[in-house]
Amino acid sequence: MKTDFYEMTYILNPVLDDDKFKELVEFVNKLITDNGGEVVDVDEWGTRQLAYPIDKKNTGYYVNLYFNAPNNAIEVVERNMRINDDIVRYITLKYSEKMKRHYELKKKGDLPVIFEETEEEQQSEDDN
Amino acid sequence: MINNPSHPKKGHLKTKDCKFSKAGIEYIDYKDTEMLLKFINDQGKILPRRVTGTSAKHQRMLSTAVKRARFMALIPYVSENLR
Repeated sequence: MKTDFYEMTYILNPVLDDDKFKELVEFVNKLITDNGGEVVDVDEWGTRQLAYPIDKKNTGYYVNLYFNAPNNAIEVVERNMRINDDIVRYITLKYSEKMKRHYELKKKGDLPVIFEETEEEQQSEDDN
Repeated sequence: MINNPSHPKKGHLKTKDCKFSKAGIEYIDYKDTEMLLKFINDQGKILPRRVTGTSAKHQRMLSTAVKRARFMALIPYVSENLR
């Protein structure tokens, strides 16, 4: 079966305790492995402030994970996540070649810097 | 205006080169909140290309990244003080 590389981020209900968070992360990972996938990396960001309230809550427990899975597994995983009331939001992205290269660079920690300040250059131009 | 560096309009001229092309970015990550915040205004709207100088290709990537970040409540749809 052909597998693809995916990224998923989901937000858990913040009112739960640490044991429950762990249980839910296990639940999602198990969903993926049970459907023929393989979890590559799980990154728990922890409780973060939300930019706007969701279901009258101002914080959320973010989990970001990367995995390989056959494409028919995603439907099953997402359906189960939608049913679970403690998973507030989720987003799944299928990685293209470019995104994979980006991910590799990010892992190595040498992503190109976007904001090298160019203020000085502008000023020297102005002096002329 | 062209010869006078202290002309009031001179300071408002933005650099017209795409920061993403310059850095050789292939994909704009929605998780990079700090970077995305620089491309939205204080209302939370995406800044136009004519202001930021972003190339068409990167502007498209940027807008999807901003929308994904909004959905995941990483950046606001509408900023706090206006709601």
